[in-house]
Amino acid sequence: MRYINSIIKADYLQRIRSYAFLITLAITFYAAYSFVPPPTASYTTLNVVGYKGVYNSAWVGYVSGMMTAIMLSMYGFFLVNGGIKKDIDTEVGLIIATTPISNFGYLLSKMLSNFLVLLTIAGCTFVVSIIMFFVRTTGSPFIIGNFLTPYLLFVVPAIFVISSLAVIAEVFLGRRSILQYIAFFFFFGALMANINQQKNETVAVFIDPFGVRTMTSSIKNHINTKYHEHIEGINLGFTFNSKRGFKTFEWNGINITGEFLLSRLLWVIIALGLVYLSSFFFHRFDFKQPVSKKKKPGLNEQHTDTTALAPAGINRTLMPPLVTDYGIIPFIKTELLLLTRKGSKWLWLISIGAAISMLFAPLNISHLYILPVLWFLQVTRWSELTTREETNRLHYFTYASYKPLQRMLPAQLLAGVVIAIVLALPLIVRYVIAADGYAIFNIINGAIFIVLLAGCLGIVSGGKKIFEIFFFLLTYALTQNIPVVDYLGAVKHDSNAVYIAVMLAFNLLLIAVSFGVRSYKLRNV
Amino acid sequence: MSLVIKDLTKQYNKHKTGLSDYSITIEKGVLGLLGPNGAGKSTLMKIIATISKPTTGTLFLDGEDIVANPDRIRKILGYLPQDFGVYPNLNAYEFLEYIAAMKGVGGNNLRKRIDLLLEGVNLTADAKRPIGTYSGGMKQRIGIAQALLNDPKVLIFDEPTVGLDPEERVRFRQLISDLADDCIIILSSHIVSDIETIADEVAIMKNGKLITKAAQPDIIKLVEGKVFETLVDNNDVAAIKAKYQVIDTGRQKDKTRVRFISHTGATELAAATVSATLEDAYLFLTHDNK
Repeated sequence: MRYINSIIKADYLQRIRSYAFLITLAITFYAAYSFVPPPTASYTTLNVVGYKGVYNSAWVGYVSGMMTAIMLSMYGFFLVNGGIKKDIDTEVGLIIATTPISNFGYLLSKMLSNFLVLLTIAGCTFVVSIIMFFVRTTGSPFIIGNFLTPYLLFVVPAIFVISSLAVIAEVFLGRRSILQYIAFFFFFGALMANINQQKNETVAVFIDPFGVRTMTSSIKNHINTKYHEHIEGINLGFTFNSKRGFKTFEWNGINITGEFLLSRLLWVIIALGLVYLSSFFFHRFDFKQPVSKKKKPGLNEQHTDTTALAPAGINRTLMPPLVTDYGIIPFIKTELLLLTRKGSKWLWLISIGAAISMLFAPLNISHLYILPVLWFLQVTRWSELTTREETNRLHYFTYASYKPLQRMLPAQLLAGVVIAIVLALPLIVRYVIAADGYAIFNIINGAIFIVLLAGCLGIVSGGKKIFEIFFFLLTYALTQNIPVVDYLGAVKHDSNAVYIAVMLAFNLLLIAVSFGVRSYKLRNV
Repeated sequence: MSLVIKDLTKQYNKHKTGLSDYSITIEKGVLGLLGPNGAGKSTLMKIIATISKPTTGTLFLDGEDIVANPDRIRKILGYLPQDFGVYPNLNAYEFLEYIAAMKGVGGNNLRKRIDLLLEGVNLTADAKRPIGTYSGGMKQRIGIAQALLNDPKVLIFDEPTVGLDPEERVRFRQLISDLADDCIIILSSHIVSDIETIADEVAIMKNGKLITKAAQPDIIKLVEGKVFETLVDNNDVAAIKAKYQVIDTGRQKDKTRVRFISHTGATELAAATVSATLEDAYLFLTHDNK
């Protein structure tokens, strides 16, 4: 147990001392603030058609807890994922492999450090929720239990499950982050859909690690009973344009049943059980060299490990005359090479398949669902766009090169945009045929936006996690048809001109921040 | 060609200073930088390579301010950092073409230039393999090749012999000697013998400050007559260490050979003076009590 404690502590400290974690915390504070909007706001986080809850302890505490459970589960996976990979990359894993710690002990420690990281963030939202109670309410009594209950029964089991999933994904899907991201994307989507659509209340409680169904059912039953309504659906999450007329109702929290408590306990046990099972498949940092079945010409010669500089050395008099070329085309070529070689061939096959499917699927399906998911499949390519050189410790060369800001950075961004547009070409072709210039403009602008966002967040945070989290949230929310996250013009907007202006402004801001921060970093290695 | 550094200070934060009022003039030839860990060698090299900005001070290359105009030196710079990396998915040709683009080297002859460099570092046979499969020494050689891509006039090598086997180190020294005629070469190493064989001048640093910069014989003179050797019982070594700055020890059956520095001699030990080396001078000058 002492080993496990030490690993958890080291792993936890290592993660929270990163710049990316600080940014995540800052965003968390803002998100926690936005979970409890003022009554005059143009959005709600828990939307009951025709009704609004009175801001009391229960409402603020439960809504905040519920939003934390869902949001933290959504992006928490991306935040904590990669703990084992880090041990592989830093070769700390080789040291760990030689210690007496068991596979289960190691994976459990990784899971618990994931949990602690997420718990730290949840702790912040908990504090902010209490502050928001005093900011948003007047005269309503403060009942701490209404804050503790949702955080203990919704948030803690939810992030426990996510912490476990992050470890299991790494054990079974190896070092290929993109596979893990795709698997989680579909798992999360399917889970949420099942929770919302499940007719049997008991089953719904048990399949719901977040406790969302218990809470929405409680509110629904409360309104239906008190106001003799037949409300069916309650929307959790940011819902905009809800300024229509409404009645208020006072809700005092859920009834905690034995069934509900059992479901929480069950999820914790399932999470631990899955980690235990995965420990039987854990590689323990013992990687076998893959044997190539296809013998390439000259393969034997290629594997000869030459051991010295040539006896003659480098004869500079034989060198051809130096020709200078300060253009960016060679950079773009190499950046494209790096982008296309990133990831495996099957990912390209899936991407090409998805791109071609946009030729045949209904136009709105292609634009709203296939293109965002297709672009999300490229997340690991773009998240490295401006962090790759530092990750590979090549920035010593790039930053010391001639005019790196004017040549390197534009080449990296342009290469990223080229990939995005090439993948979107089938859809663009259909819009060309339909003579829909507005849609084409939005797709190209969206391509530029997402690549600029990748570049900017990479430069500012120095890592790829923040972009990966953002991109996941954007994609998920966009496929839920939420207009405010529509970066590629897939959803109808009130004013096309305003939408274009906002997107262009975002792009300009991202360019300014990217170039400004990179300019500083160039001289401060 | 000369590089004039004046009153250079790099303050990382309130408690950490990389360089402090550092002044030095570097001419054509090989300047070896010696200093313990944290002496500021890498900081100095990063500032000359323009990837780190000094807090205060000036840096002029042939009279031109390269702090204000870093692109001036970048065009003629070859830099091999201590812990550089590579893009593992690129092969040697692709990687060197990429670095060439950074350095602004192009034209139809680029491929020939790369071929010659790869031949020179003995990587031709492996040039089409992804660099990710290279051994540490091979990566170091690709690093040397990239530094020479643009016919640099200022070459900075930070611990260049790390990862090279003894034979490669010898060849590397030869290469440096060949280049030294028309370049400024700044080279740091923990291996004093590397500096001893290559450097025309040596700069010894400690705690971000320049202790001395001179030709090797002049530095060695500082400790000449102060280096002694004696053979003592193994049990007596601790007492000698407590009294003198011990440079080296070597066990010989039940006796120990001790090499140490003394300002006044050591008659009680029957020690004889021996010829001083650069390593003696370096250890003497960077000793904590110095």
